[in-house]
Amino acid sequence: MTLVTSKICIVGDFAVGKTSVVERFVNNHFSDRYLTTVGVKVDTKEIELPRHSVSQKLVIWDVAGSDRFGPVEFAYLRGSAGHIFVADGTRSLSLDAALALRDQIIERYGSQPSVLLLNKRDLANAWEINDARIDSLLDRFDAVFRTSAKTGDDVEEALTRLSELIIERELESS
Amino acid sequence: MALPDVVVEHLQDSFVARTRPFCFLIDEHAVLLDCWGEGAWCRLEGIEPGTNMLEAAPYLHGMLVNESVQVEFITIATDVIVHLYVVPSGRRHYVILLDAAGEHAFLQQRQQTSNDMRLLHASQQRLIGRQRALIGELVEAKSELDHHRREAERSSSSKSRFIAMMSHEFRTPLASIINYADLALDEETGPGDVRKSLEAIGRSARHLTSLVEALLDDARLDAGQLELAEKAFNLTDLLTDLAAMMAPLAAEKGLSFATRVDADVPVHIVADEVRLRQILINLLGNAIKFTEDGGIELIITYHDSRLVATVADTGPGISAEDQEKVFRAFERGSASAATGAGLGLTITLRLAQLMGGEITLDSSPGQGCTVSLHLPVITSGAGHIGSDEILPAPDADVRATRPASILVCDDDEDMLALVEHYLHRAGYGLITTADGKEAIDKAIAYDPDLVLLDVNIPGVSGIEVACRLRSRGFAKPIVALTASKLSASEQAGFTTCFRKPAAMPALLAEIKRLTHAA
Repeated sequence: MTLVTSKICIVGDFAVGKTSVVERFVNNHFSDRYLTTVGVKVDTKEIELPRHSVSQKLVIWDVAGSDRFGPVEFAYLRGSAGHIFVADGTRSLSLDAALALRDQIIERYGSQPSVLLLNKRDLANAWEINDARIDSLLDRFDAVFRTSAKTGDDVEEALTRLSELIIERELESS
Repeated sequence: MALPDVVVEHLQDSFVARTRPFCFLIDEHAVLLDCWGEGAWCRLEGIEPGTNMLEAAPYLHGMLVNESVQVEFITIATDVIVHLYVVPSGRRHYVILLDAAGEHAFLQQRQQTSNDMRLLHASQQRLIGRQRALIGELVEAKSELDHHRREAERSSSSKSRFIAMMSHEFRTPLASIINYADLALDEETGPGDVRKSLEAIGRSARHLTSLVEALLDDARLDAGQLELAEKAFNLTDLLTDLAAMMAPLAAEKGLSFATRVDADVPVHIVADEVRLRQILINLLGNAIKFTEDGGIELIITYHDSRLVATVADTGPGISAEDQEKVFRAFERGSASAATGAGLGLTITLRLAQLMGGEITLDSSPGQGCTVSLHLPVITSGAGHIGSDEILPAPDADVRATRPASILVCDDDEDMLALVEHYLHRAGYGLITTADGKEAIDKAIAYDPDLVLLDVNIPGVSGIEVACRLRSRGFAKPIVALTASKLSASEQAGFTTCFRKPAAMPALLAEIKRLTHAA
């Protein structure tokens, strides 16, 4: 298999569970304790994409929560091959923040593979985003997932999907 | 001006001690060429020239460009936080890592507090929203409970009223039956009184039967056991029956009764005839019961497969408040002094709904009452009813022997309505007026077969009307109907005179004779 290394960035408003998603994906671990991220955390994980005969090393940049990017945050995104946008399904305002960040990134770097994670799916009783709104998001992102970093639901699927999108895009451009 | 060397040196020592700079040089393939400083703190101990630095330091991905790059606070491992500087030098890059853990810890604590506060605020807002929603739900639940409580109280009160009323309604005819039966059995009672007693017993028994029927109908409707028997029937026959049944009841109270049928109303319809009859009898019966002056009119129209039967009366009317009550079981309008179980209109409404129709009520105090039954019906066969077909059948001895028109002039509305009723029922065409001068004009214009005049009327008196008509060559009979005694000269213009209160059969017989002779 060919080994490909790709940098991806995970962005979104504060406390939506970005670090927990990465922790679940990289170490299959979850902590209930909220620890805010300052700056950026870098992790790596290698996954295999048999359909594309590729082994992909993901360098994941977990960017501190923000509803708007400035020069510091844009420096983190440099060289990113794709983006994971995360919103908290129990805070609809965090979805607005994710959409605003998406617009900023597209304006700066153009369109790149992206998936949206509506996280905290385990808190179904407090869920604020209805199916109609979720359907309306499908034309803005390559894929939308309802995830739970706590239970692990759809986390791996979401990141694998982004990896495939990046590989497919690279194959198309080569 | 440059800082003194000793100061610069101090600052440099302090900076280096705090940030522990580690620097390395890589070529265009990110292969290590050389390094300076202690790399253990940033997990780069033991690297040697030839090491692929993209593998040793994966955070360099995307950073090796032809411009200086500065990225702060990169957590590259647990408790290892760096500031990263990449400085291009030809095709090579110098990479500098500074230890930012101390600075990061301070910022992290501050940011954590800030974010915790924001989360707390968001949580509070959610709780406030939820609290508001709960208060709304509580208010709504309380309102619903209040409504149910009021309904229960009203139902309880209605049932109590019903029991009290039923007690009275049943006891009265039962007492009558018992007492009249005793009287009929008494040996001293003569045959005439026995007959009267039996008639009274019959009346009371029929009244009791109707009460029981009403109660049973209500119970069947409650239980959903009342089924409709729809079939084709002749609507003319039904309306004729109703007119024949209701006109005498109205006449007994001095009320006029008229049936008006639109030209479009079909003769044969498919519906439950028995229930339709029951509804109309209820509506007409109520109208007669509550009306003391004026009259009742039954108007039948048909449009878009809907039959509309409207019963209009000139009774006391019903206030808006009472209009809601009158359709509830065991309740009557507040102004009502009439007897009854208070079930008639309830059953009427429920029957109408069962038949797919509805009842509308239009009334206000002092303005009479109009109740309409709107019923979807299917027509069966062709043919339309004309109003003439459903006049109440008059007695043979007073019925007009040929089509004749009569001009009636009386300023007393009740009297006019009563005379109108009897003449209409007897088959006469009528022209009516309450004014003497108008009576002259209409008599000349329409040349009726007979003129029936009250004497004391506004404007021109009845005597004067008769004289003027005679002087203008009107040769048809003119009959006086007056409470006054007329002198011989005053009677001159009249063919004959009747004193009020006149016996209607005698008046009708005379009119028949005069119009037949004419």
